Amino acid sequence: MPTLLELQRSMSKFVLSRQNDEAAQFIFADGIAASERLSIYRNTFLASLTSALRISFPAVHRLVGAEFFDGAAQCFIEAEPPQSANLYRYGAGFAHFLARFPPAASLAYLADVARLEWAVNCALHAPDVPPLASECFAAVAQADPTHLVLVPHPSLTLLRAEYPSDAIWRAVLAEDDGALSTIDLMEGPCWLLVERNAEGVTASRLKESEWRFISSLYAGEAFAAAADREENIDVALVFAGHLAAGRFIEFHIMPNE
Amino acid sequence: MGGGTPLHYLDAIRRDYPVSLHGVGLSLGSAEGIDAAHLARVREIAARIEPGLVSEHLSWSVAGGIYFADLLPLPMTEEAMEIVCRHVDQVQNVLDRQILIENPSTYLQFQHSTIPEWEFMAAVAARTGCGILCDVNNVYVSACNHGWDALQYLAGLPVNAVGEIHLAGHSAKEVNGRTLRIDDHGSSVSEAVWSLYAEALKLFGPVPTLIEWDTNIPAFDVLLDEATRAERALECVKGLHHADAA
Repeated sequence: MPTLLELQRSMSKFVLSRQNDEAAQFIFADGIAASERLSIYRNTFLASLTSALRISFPAVHRLVGAEFFDGAAQCFIEAEPPQSANLYRYGAGFAHFLARFPPAASLAYLADVARLEWAVNCALHAPDVPPLASECFAAVAQADPTHLVLVPHPSLTLLRAEYPSDAIWRAVLAEDDGALSTIDLMEGPCWLLVERNAEGVTASRLKESEWRFISSLYAGEAFAAAADREENIDVALVFAGHLAAGRFIEFHIMPNE
Repeated sequence: MGGGTPLHYLDAIRRDYPVSLHGVGLSLGSAEGIDAAHLARVREIAARIEPGLVSEHLSWSVAGGIYFADLLPLPMTEEAMEIVCRHVDQVQNVLDRQILIENPSTYLQFQHSTIPEWEFMAAVAARTGCGILCDVNNVYVSACNHGWDALQYLAGLPVNAVGEIHLAGHSAKEVNGRTLRIDDHGSSVSEAVWSLYAEALKLFGPVPTLIEWDTNIPAFDVLLDEATRAERALECVKGLHHADAA
């Protein structure tokens, strides 16, 4: 007689990979093979998580079709099953998985679209945090830029895409074949900012230098260090725009070393 | 806890309606213990929406740190009962309130099970002070799959502990000439389950009832018809209770 821990370990191996039959010996066959009975649980496991991925990656789903999506999802679920019951956080590794998934190799832009959809998913579910109040803007402006560090809004993600994933994502979700046909896959990389604001979740394009500057700030670099690297943009103006758009929630003055 | 529109809608619904908080992720039956981070999230959302009822399942979903997004069956043993009771105590302590535990649909039985499921449910309720969420569809599905007597199951539950009822649809699958019924939350409540529901109400009285639909959600009229049918059944037993009192 197995302990509960032993039983759960052996059943989980079957549910996860169908590779292990040791759980079958603990089960009453009763006219239906134990492996058939266990398969019902495996099917639900795959179906529930495939559905969770479908909800988070609707454009990927439409781009590849249901059959391909389900197959890719099954491989991903088996390789990286969820470690938390918080299913809206499941799928962080799906874009990286698709980038290395041989059957998807002919769709070079697929991983970029998946990365964008994950950022959209994170923005959708990010905690509600008020942006830095406008009363604080003067204090930010007067702070010593060599010590000024900003905290970005948790809904924000900055992405560099090799392909125009934002245009593909919009056209696919709108089922706009006209827009899809005008997309130039070879137009070169784009620099995206994904966020949730009053209009919902948006993906907007930034100039490369602006994206690099803002990325440095988001990564927690001091304002002056991030600004000094950029010669082609008016960093004060760019920063004011992001501050006014509510993309920062706090600022800190770092003490001297 | 996340934010955004899902939380916004939940808050808006809570302003206008009472809500019950029904969990599928706590894995009360996991031998390796329950995820404190998940329990903390449940506490946070419970504190925010102040649900009328909080419920979880008599099952497990986590092993080896993997969450299986399914309600896996427990062996009906003393060991499993001790583990479930310990976790129900833990959850009730952290949430500082009673929870209800729900009977699952099961598709297999373990050779080393020694306790009928209804007795297991009743014992967990007696030991921990938790309530019971009686899923009448699950009683029907498991009874058909394992050759149990569904009425005996219902009669074995402690009347005062039953605080909520669930109804749902299920499908039937032929395997080797045998019919296996599978809970699906994606079809209408079957006539057999409506009949069993009427029996459950006779035993338990007019208990708050939820009809579960997660997939293939039909036109609103269909949902409304099912809700009306459940409402009528509840009214019938309310009437009986009044007649008894008179």
